[in-house]
Amino acid sequence: MRRAVLALGSTVAGLILLLSFRSHTGSAASAGVSAAGTGSQSPSAAPSASAGGSAGGSMGGAASPTPAAGGGAGGRVVTGDVINGPYGPSQVAVTLSGSKITKVTVLQHTDDGSNSQQIDGNALPKLTSETLAAQSAKIDAVSGASYTSAGYIKSLQSALDKAQA
Amino acid sequence: MPADSAASRLRHAEPVMGTVFSFDLPAAAGPVLPAVLRWLHWVDATFSTYRADSDVSRFGRGETELADCAPELAEVIGQCRRLSEQSGGYFTAWPGGRFDPSGLVKGWSIEHAATMLTAVGHTPVSVNGAGDVQCAGEPEPGRPWRIGIADPLRPGALAAVVAGRDFAVATSGTAERGPHIINPHTGLPATELASVTVVGPRVTSADAYATAAFAMGPAVRDWVESLDGYEALAITPDGDRWHTTGFPAYAAS
Repeated sequence: MRRAVLALGSTVAGLILLLSFRSHTGSAASAGVSAAGTGSQSPSAAPSASAGGSAGGSMGGAASPTPAAGGGAGGRVVTGDVINGPYGPSQVAVTLSGSKITKVTVLQHTDDGSNSQQIDGNALPKLTSETLAAQSAKIDAVSGASYTSAGYIKSLQSALDKAQA
Repeated sequence: MPADSAASRLRHAEPVMGTVFSFDLPAAAGPVLPAVLRWLHWVDATFSTYRADSDVSRFGRGETELADCAPELAEVIGQCRRLSEQSGGYFTAWPGGRFDPSGLVKGWSIEHAATMLTAVGHTPVSVNGAGDVQCAGEPEPGRPWRIGIADPLRPGALAAVVAGRDFAVATSGTAERGPHIINPHTGLPATELASVTVVGPRVTSADAYATAAFAMGPAVRDWVESLDGYEALAITPDGDRWHTTGFPAYAAS
């Protein structure tokens, strides 16, 4: 069960986060601070990230674990580590009902714009369908999902590790 | 106890080289993994163009001879030269005249990390460095690795799924970072393709081929068709697709 969730998590994170990254950058209306994000957000704690896009760039600083925020209305909320990529920090919070991910909130992302965004109602059904598609397809890894979303994947994985989902 | 049961697998994600390397390996390889991770961080320090005191930076400034650098640098330079020749200069470790082998080092690191694990008997293994993947063995008896290819035009969706054993998948594209691959012959960002995925035995070559193919422009189709042992799938900004004649062999059922 644990493995299933983690495997799902890392696959889905790549999918989700591509999804969220794109859908939000074009949709200012979706920028809302969730209950999950308000308690634990600390952008100033993130070390500055190096600029530049080279694969040989400086590595991200070690992220300090962020304590889980309080549970929201929809279940247990666990905040992932801040992951520093070449373009800045990435951080997500996951909401779990049991071991099932019901929501992923993007607390920090590496694009310009708002630092705290939430996957909106329109994206969630898509997210769910992508989740199911990835499960049925038994994808072991995703090629072409790199850099920025890798930070999300790492942050999501750390959240799941903390949740012991 | 089957060595490849789900319960005996280990997953690890390591932030290094400004990105994340993800490992899927047998739990029995756990004691070996720290050495592999240390090696990746050593590569980061040695090959970083952001660190003024790295071997690459010092060599690039002409302050040190190749013989006085880590021997891995000579190996990387050799691979860069091979791939530059094969790609008509579209892959280069001297973009803009400045020495920067970063475009090769990531793929080379992924391949070496996988080899470090398989060389001591640990399979199946997959190492995913920022979306470029080297797979060894098969994840379960009778089942190939299945690697999704991110759709550059539909964020969150997969454009295709490829399957294989002991193979590598590398993708270059604008999906996540916008136009960032420069055609070294024009100095302009490449815009002919939205993404190109190269599949073949080894990720060092697959990654460099994908980078070169992305930068190449109209000549790309003939060039990737000519690659020995490697196949390609390309997606244009309009959503058109084309692939090499051998690519369907990797199509997942």
